[in-house]
Amino acid sequence: MRAMTAIGIAAALVFGAAQEPAKAGPYVADERIIALPEAESPFVAFNIWVKSGSASDPKGKEGLASLTASLISGGSTREDSLEQILEKLYPMAAGYGASVDREMTNVTGRVHRDNLDAFYALFRNALLSPAFTEADFNRLKAQRMNFLERARRYSRDEELSKDLLFWMAYQGTPYQHPAEGYVDSVRSITLDDVRGFYRDHYVRNNVVVAVGGGYPGGFPERVRKDLDTLPQGTVREIAAPAPKPPAGTKILLVEKATDASPISFGYPIALLRDDPDFVPLLVANSYLGEHRNSVGRLYQAIRETRGMNYGNYSYIEAFPGGYATQQPRVNVARRSQLFEIWIRPISQTAPGNLHDRTLFATRAALFELDRLADGGMTPEAVAASKEFLRNYVGTWGATISRRLGYAVDDAFYGIPAPGFLQSLKAAIDKVTPAQVNAAIKKHLHSDTMYMVIVTADAAALKQKILSNQATPITYAGERKAALLEEDKAIAALPFKVKEADITILGIDKVFQ
Amino acid sequence: MRQVFVAAMVVACVGSHPLTAQPQGVQPSARRVFPFPYETVVLENGFRAYLIKAGAPGQVAYVSIVRTGSRDEVEPGKSGFAHFFEHMMFRGTEKYPNYDAETTKMGAFRNASTWADQTAYYLVANTEYLEKIMDIESDRFMNLKYAEPDFRTEAGAILGEYQQGAREPQRWLNEKVREAAFEKHTYRHTTIGFEADVRAMPQAYEYSKSFYQRFYRPENVVLVVAGDFDIPKAKALVTKYYAGWTPGYKPPPIEPEPAQTAPRERTVKYPGRTLPIVAINYKAPAWDAKNRTGVALEVLGQVAFGPNSALYRKLVLQERRVQSLFPSFGLSRDPYLVSVQTMISNPADVEAVEAEVTAAVKTFQETLVDPKQLADTKSAIKYGFLMSMETAQDVAFAVMPTIVNTGKLEPIEEYFRSLDAVTPEDVREAARKYLIDSGRTTITMVQEG
Repeated sequence: MRAMTAIGIAAALVFGAAQEPAKAGPYVADERIIALPEAESPFVAFNIWVKSGSASDPKGKEGLASLTASLISGGSTREDSLEQILEKLYPMAAGYGASVDREMTNVTGRVHRDNLDAFYALFRNALLSPAFTEADFNRLKAQRMNFLERARRYSRDEELSKDLLFWMAYQGTPYQHPAEGYVDSVRSITLDDVRGFYRDHYVRNNVVVAVGGGYPGGFPERVRKDLDTLPQGTVREIAAPAPKPPAGTKILLVEKATDASPISFGYPIALLRDDPDFVPLLVANSYLGEHRNSVGRLYQAIRETRGMNYGNYSYIEAFPGGYATQQPRVNVARRSQLFEIWIRPISQTAPGNLHDRTLFATRAALFELDRLADGGMTPEAVAASKEFLRNYVGTWGATISRRLGYAVDDAFYGIPAPGFLQSLKAAIDKVTPAQVNAAIKKHLHSDTMYMVIVTADAAALKQKILSNQATPITYAGERKAALLEEDKAIAALPFKVKEADITILGIDKVFQ
Repeated sequence: MRQVFVAAMVVACVGSHPLTAQPQGVQPSARRVFPFPYETVVLENGFRAYLIKAGAPGQVAYVSIVRTGSRDEVEPGKSGFAHFFEHMMFRGTEKYPNYDAETTKMGAFRNASTWADQTAYYLVANTEYLEKIMDIESDRFMNLKYAEPDFRTEAGAILGEYQQGAREPQRWLNEKVREAAFEKHTYRHTTIGFEADVRAMPQAYEYSKSFYQRFYRPENVVLVVAGDFDIPKAKALVTKYYAGWTPGYKPPPIEPEPAQTAPRERTVKYPGRTLPIVAINYKAPAWDAKNRTGVALEVLGQVAFGPNSALYRKLVLQERRVQSLFPSFGLSRDPYLVSVQTMISNPADVEAVEAEVTAAVKTFQETLVDPKQLADTKSAIKYGFLMSMETAQDVAFAVMPTIVNTGKLEPIEEYFRSLDAVTPEDVREAARKYLIDSGRTTITMVQEG
């Protein structure tokens, strides 16, 4: 669900008389309009960026920004009931949806350009004249409650552990709660709360229009003009969180009947896209744990060589929903980021003592992180990572919607034209081994961190961590002596953690 | 990875894509639905390749479709093997011992997925690497080589993959639906396989070699290259790299499912928290572009249970008795199921909601669909496909169902002729013929405790 709602997936046709398309060219990013004309494209994509996200949720009403966005994208308008909207969208393979992250709400849509006018009328009304009916509110709130009470806790433990990592690291800040909110906070949200959030945040000075693809000349300006009928408002500024690394390692164990344990750990890093260290650290991170790729050290060590799980990755920017996508998410831009390692579920029912494999995999990841943080990368390793990454980033902007998403993120970060993605290849080419190693030294360590493990028998796992006993693993086949030697070192790697820093939480209390 | 049957929703609007190069071969025309020019290469060993010119400046998508999936796992104890084998295909050859390293150098986006009817391997990379990719890919399809310890290691990764999604409600439900609806046919098991079979995989090294020998043969593999590349040059490369592949495909003896004679109903417990989910499934025919009643069945799914259906409006929007309602009416290579699935807000309402679904079925068996709704649905299916084809990889994936079902791309056109010809009477006939009680399997999934 991931704070995403969408209506209408169908198809539009009727090949209307095409208007003169806008010329292709570099995009224009200013305070109010982002335009990505691609005259050859048969599609038009929209991304209306509301510069408020879940960090703007009032205390006790966590989840409000997200529920409001779901009413915008999945509710009636004053012009059309939801039934009528669905009926009109049905013969167009078009629809619109909304996503909410900490700092941003993005209402997005995509249509064949022949159907642009019919689609745009619905899309515009969704933003400008939502009806906020009791029926829509009750339906969408009930769906959200079902997600919070059941689906979030019982469908994907690995996604849950990642959400909890951010929750731990951002305690006491506006970034702490997941965008979907808590069970109790969403339960308390009323339709008036939603109307109030819309009134306060969907104001013309808080909204940026982004349009891309084969639209007719002047179209983005027309969209902007329409959105300028929203009232002017004063949006309360949210201070950027500046979380500090924890003193020592803090571990949250989620008690749950499960066959396999996901592990997430990490800590705040003071590094955003416009930082000179960013691209060097992107290269280092690709070497350590490129998302959903077999190139990374973590993947090689834990999956490829030892066959312990399905994958192991690391991140220097938020990457929610990673199980569902191979490419980086757009529109999860933030003013504060974590360094994060994601170990996919480790079997608790494979041969061996309960929890030994879980702790071995955790130690193996710490071992690899340590090795990188202490030893850095060789010039050859830097060159190989650069060679991979310089081409790989070329697949990140495959669709207009993604290119538009990157352009919106550029506006968030203040990155000038031609933008982050377009500049990335050249920036990677320029990175030197010295820069990479300096960035590693400055930003990576394995000493202090937040850690989340979802597991059966959490009390026993807690004791095993505190005991610091070795947690060896066995193999079904023969292994080289060098690997077995390394295993011994990994299995005995000490956890530096105090008893008071390990918390156990029952699954039915998570995000209550 | 997932086992979902995808409807062959295929089409696009003629003339909507600017075409620059005009190679020989099939060209878009007023009578054709597939909007991109392509050429077909057929080698003497039975290997087919479709070379499609489709946008995406400077990039190609390279998709090798093996027409073998969990459907082909006929031996007891070997469920999940097609998927396991997919993993082994990344373990290298003598010429290229490190597949990952080779493709990493290109910065290629690469992955693979296994479904009931196919295993597909794909890369997206800069066009400059096309020949290199063809070399590496053809090599691993002909000369794969891995040692037993590597094989056993990979089996551990499969267990991890099995367990990371094992308790997702949809996975849990899907397993139960298949087990209840099928007794003989291999659609009885999911693509990831039974857990006991997954745990036994490390012992199957010898079997894995025979799997490769039988199924990874040129007659059983279709290549789709889509993107921005020189088609005549690519044709020559296909011959250069694939003509030496020795044929020898041995189709597995898949036992047909006996006709179901009575409705089946089961309640299954989910070991977690969920609202009740009801899946109402009917035995369906195999995908056949020429079977107009079969094509009408896919239309019926949308008309009766889609987001613009009367039932959706009533149950989801007006009465809000269910949290979701959706049809899965795509057909497969062998006769599988079409299904309606709904999540019910109040557990006491389960039977009444089920009755609403069967009442809707009855309505479509007795009355003719509104012509406007039929026309809207045809257009929704057609242009759903057009909207899905933005990238080169999209285009390759969009033709995959037709290739999986028939071994060829060309039946797409036949399918759309059938779709165009579907009448209200055909839709009624589809409801009468396929949505029958004796072919129904209803699974209600509720939480334990």
